[in-house]
Amino acid sequence: MTKLRRRTGVLLLAVIIGHVVLISVQVNTPSGVRLLESVTFGLFSEVQRAVARSVGGVQGLWHGYVGLVSVQEENGALREDVAQLQLRLQQERAMAQRARGLEELLELKRNVAFSTVSARVIAGDATPYFRTVTIDRGTGDGVRRDAAVVSPAGVVGRVIKDPGSRASKVQLLIDRSAAAGVLIERTRVQGVAMGVVDEGLLRMEYVSKLEDVQVGDLVVTSGADGVYPKGVPVGQVAEVGGGPGLYQTIHVRPNVEFGDLEDVLVLVPEAAASVTVAGGG
Amino acid sequence: MKTAWVALALVATLALQTTGAPLLAGLGVSVDLVLVLVTLVAIANGPVGGLWVGTVGGLLQDALSGGVIGVGGLAKTVVGYGVGALAVHFNVSWPWHQALVVFLASLVHAAGFVGLYGLLSDERAMTSNSSVLSQAVANAVIGIGVALAARATPQWVMRRRMRRRRLTRRFGG
Repeated sequence: MTKLRRRTGVLLLAVIIGHVVLISVQVNTPSGVRLLESVTFGLFSEVQRAVARSVGGVQGLWHGYVGLVSVQEENGALREDVAQLQLRLQQERAMAQRARGLEELLELKRNVAFSTVSARVIAGDATPYFRTVTIDRGTGDGVRRDAAVVSPAGVVGRVIKDPGSRASKVQLLIDRSAAAGVLIERTRVQGVAMGVVDEGLLRMEYVSKLEDVQVGDLVVTSGADGVYPKGVPVGQVAEVGGGPGLYQTIHVRPNVEFGDLEDVLVLVPEAAASVTVAGGG
Repeated sequence: MKTAWVALALVATLALQTTGAPLLAGLGVSVDLVLVLVTLVAIANGPVGGLWVGTVGGLLQDALSGGVIGVGGLAKTVVGYGVGALAVHFNVSWPWHQALVVFLASLVHAAGFVGLYGLLSDERAMTSNSSVLSQAVANAVIGIGVALAARATPQWVMRRRMRRRRLTRRFGG
């Protein structure tokens, strides 16, 4: 009985470690490095430090007393290296300039019009904690990651993860980690719309208390986020409050009824849309 | 055979969770049907059964949702194992007891799931306390329904068999 209990305990421990490793593989630390890499690196770097210190001690002894003979030769090799590195630096600068030019071109391309692919919502999220839906269109229809998804009423969300060939996952705008660049249509005041936990509302952030915002104002996308095109309706201001700090507390009621979403439109670039069969618009 | 039934139940529950639960969410009620299944399987099969169903169910749910794969798996593994271990030591065969276990398991699962996400990111709160509580109540209600149905099904099947046998005897076959 004790043996069986111990074996079950070991199994639980193994499964938990497996999960922790799995999670670590996917999660980034605040500095952008993956957690697994960070922890592994942190642990191994201590071992490496100890080994390097020992090796360094021996090397120091060697170079300080025995290896002085080779210094002149090494000096010559280093001068050669410096000359090569200077040449490489010049090449890198030229490449950076080219990249900047390409970025400008890309910015221009972002302003090019989109085509639409009609899609049907086929499932919701598998957990109650996220606000995502699955649509029946994928890469085969021209849908790409980060493609904006809209409905006639307004912004629905964006495609997250790499879509399958016949289905894609869409993060709704009311998800707690979703956001969109928006502006108040009347005053052109810009902000960021984010999902409010459990309430089905959006919160418009970063709007100064000096700006004029009123209940009922129409909120549309600003296009600043690079995902949603400019001018798509998002919702109406439902509540404006003072709030602490420099910014106002603004709640926006979305135009889209996220509870009964059935048909949506995915915005795809012109080139990708040309391969689709069911392209609507 | 038993494993096949559990696997089938898991697939059916996941399908129901992704297609039926959003309709309930539209009405303001959120449920985690996979958690209900994990809890009931753990009660019936003990810690090892609960552990495996929790692991597989949680990982599948993670893979289908928009979150980090492994967080739900870990939370459900711990819940499955814990409930299974509890069921070995206490009598939780009555549907009301099982509903209470589902309620408590939902709270533990939410604490683990939300807590893990809190550790992994500095994003805003994932859900509110009232929402966790209402979800636990909804899960418990579904749990008691499933437990009552599971209790009644063998009796119903036996009654049906007996009736068929009586009819065969009376009219020949």
